[in-house]
Amino acid sequence: MSTEAIPAEKPKRNYNALFGLTLLALLVLLWVILSFSTSSFASANNISNLLRQGSMIAILAVGQTFVIITGGIDLSVGAVVGFATVIAAMLINAGVPVFFAILLTLLVGVAIGLFHGFGIVKMGLPPFIITLATLTSLRGIGLLMTNGNSISINNDAFQEFSRNSFLGIPNLFWMVLLVGIPAYVFLHHSRWGRYLFSVGSNAEASRLSGVNVQRTIFMAYTLSGLCAAFVGVLLASRIGIGNPTQAEGWELQAIASSVIGGTSLFGAVGSVHGPLLGAFILATINNGANLLNVNAFWQRVITGVLIIVIVYFDGLRRRGGK
Amino acid sequence: MTSTAQDLHPAPVLEPGRTILELRGLEKKYPGTHALKPVTLAFKAGEIHAIVGENGAGKSTLIKLLTGVMPRTSGEVIWEGKPAALATPHEAMALGINAVHQEVVLCRHLTVAANMFLGEENSRFGILQQRAMVREAQKIIDGLGFDLPAHVTLGDLTIGQQQLIAAARATVRGTKFLIFDEPTAYLTRKEADQLFTLIRRLKSEGVTIIYISHRMEEVFELADRVSVLRDGTLVGTRNISETNDAELVKLMINRSIEQIYHKEHFTPGAAIIEARNLSGKGFENVSMTVRAGEIVGLYGLIGAGRSEFVTTLYGRHRKSAGQILWEGKDVQVNSEHDAIKLGMALAPESRRDQGLCLNLPVGLNLNLPIYKRISNNLLISGAQEKTQADRQIADLRIKTPTRNALASSLSGGNQQKIVIGKWLAHGAKLFIFDEPTVGVDVGTKAEIYRLFSALLSKGAGIILISSYLPEVYELADTLHVFRRGKLVATHGFHTADHEDILTQALAEKQEKLGGKT
Repeated sequence: MSTEAIPAEKPKRNYNALFGLTLLALLVLLWVILSFSTSSFASANNISNLLRQGSMIAILAVGQTFVIITGGIDLSVGAVVGFATVIAAMLINAGVPVFFAILLTLLVGVAIGLFHGFGIVKMGLPPFIITLATLTSLRGIGLLMTNGNSISINNDAFQEFSRNSFLGIPNLFWMVLLVGIPAYVFLHHSRWGRYLFSVGSNAEASRLSGVNVQRTIFMAYTLSGLCAAFVGVLLASRIGIGNPTQAEGWELQAIASSVIGGTSLFGAVGSVHGPLLGAFILATINNGANLLNVNAFWQRVITGVLIIVIVYFDGLRRRGGK
Repeated sequence: MTSTAQDLHPAPVLEPGRTILELRGLEKKYPGTHALKPVTLAFKAGEIHAIVGENGAGKSTLIKLLTGVMPRTSGEVIWEGKPAALATPHEAMALGINAVHQEVVLCRHLTVAANMFLGEENSRFGILQQRAMVREAQKIIDGLGFDLPAHVTLGDLTIGQQQLIAAARATVRGTKFLIFDEPTAYLTRKEADQLFTLIRRLKSEGVTIIYISHRMEEVFELADRVSVLRDGTLVGTRNISETNDAELVKLMINRSIEQIYHKEHFTPGAAIIEARNLSGKGFENVSMTVRAGEIVGLYGLIGAGRSEFVTTLYGRHRKSAGQILWEGKDVQVNSEHDAIKLGMALAPESRRDQGLCLNLPVGLNLNLPIYKRISNNLLISGAQEKTQADRQIADLRIKTPTRNALASSLSGGNQQKIVIGKWLAHGAKLFIFDEPTVGVDVGTKAEIYRLFSALLSKGAGIILISSYLPEVYELADTLHVFRRGKLVATHGFHTADHEDILTQALAEKQEKLGGKT
């Protein structure tokens, strides 16, 4: 038999782990540099603040990653967050017990995700279009519901939650673990996770192999909607108001975190730890730039440059690995 | 090898028989693999030079070096008497070296004419002369004897027709040296004949042709000389008149031709599936039965309705009339999921588009149909996932560094083994193979045929679709011939001869094939 021309490719899992470690090293490096160059970075207060800032984008990025792995995109998540703050605020102010208010808000997120799935699978709309449509219309519906005003939430216990800490770590960061650990198990150790990858890689081959492609797509968008509604609840708790214009542009931060974390916009490549690290790298840069008195406008530029640099090196290594 | 070193003078027009391109110790090493060991070979102007060899024998590497897609590790290439670097595709094209690939690399969304002139558009003051280009393209296509319109979108043509356009495109660019890489893999016999006419015409115009194919009869029909590669080594060059099938196959694989079509006859058991007067998109009123232990071959031209028929059995498309009986019971197959639940497995025609998740690991591809079984309600059993994948890799002798390597890094034959292998662990009763050996080398073919026997011995039934007559002829216990959506003839094993079957598939007498023009 002939010897095949198999390129000496490194196993995929090693590569993933390596990339994760590189991101972690980058995050630690940023923290070390900022600890030495500013007096206030290493303070407990600032670290807590940083964790709170990063947490919400991190959760959004996890949901977003599920969608991107299937080869899609969810532009609506920022609008869903804003809309969810309104729903949560209205329900709580109407006297609904907090637990049920949260549950109902999450269900709204699920419903929005199902709608996206319906539009993509049943109506044949491109993900970009259907989620762009919900992005603008959800903001509109929220504004109609509130007449353009903010709704103050009259429930102190609800607002306390996001300010408090448990074992010295902000509650919001615990929420990242609450979402991240099941998400990790789901993506890497369940067959539905495998199906997300296979659909993103080749939907037709998956279908012919017996994978329910439509259900997989429904699932991805539903999870993204659920994550977004959950972040909406957390945001409502943090700022104490319901306002449909909140979380402007968060969808782009979520996508950026996901991409920095190694997710391929072409689908079939991604992880859970990557987007989480990506979100905290972005949060650290913003936080550090504030402390260093860097013009806020520059922060946006830095984020953009960072995306290009990381994705470029990631692509280089992927190609080089072959 | 002919040594013509003494007459290497650059001449404006090369006489036939002179050396146009010479390889001196051409070599390519990848990290870990010696893809092409030093090859020394001279191509004569105006010859059709076939290159045969198994997948991974180094044919693709050779093409990539000649077309400037990859740099060589060492050695020299002499083009018309002068050393050529061939460092970029552009340089190769400027010299007049072009290639027509197995998979069409053109823009599917543009028109035929736009593709013909892609990169060399006819424009006046920056405005495209679209009508003139369509007219010009039509003239070229008509001149080549292809019955194709130039104004339609390329993607609307069949893959075979697209291939003809790709070949036509290469001929209009001052090509002196044209490489065909398995051009007929997706072509019907009629399209292949048109292509052969084109190739002979190019030869008569003095173009040198390298023709790469797995199909021996094509090599004998077309080529003047043939070179055999094995394991990256050039093991021999022969004049076509001085060699035969058996010798070439032996050079290629060190194995005799009788060992390739491995056919065992089993006593057929109970019916697994029966189609009764089944109609659907692309076929009508088809009835047939597949029993345990038999191979049912479906032969016909591409577009004759064979693939549509099986994808309807498989629930991909809706039937419009008729019945499907599974083990004697009337069943509704509304989705692939239903079909798989019944016990069907489909290895589709195009492994890239339908068969594989290319940028995912080999192991995931192999396990895709059985994840339900190797996981509980929540989690996948990591251990089972590993052992299942490793077992298939070992059983099928899939050449891959590990189960974690990406499917895209494997050769065509090994990819095809994954497409088939993923159904073995699943334990289906009816296997549908749609063109299972397209673009697969002789050695892998033999392995795939052996696998058929193994499946039959376990009581499975097989539907084998092929456009390659010897394959269905040598393997099928029952052979159905399709033409224009209808089942037109049925034969037992070796009860009809090739000529008759071909005629039935083509219907029109004047299209009867086989001889040289």
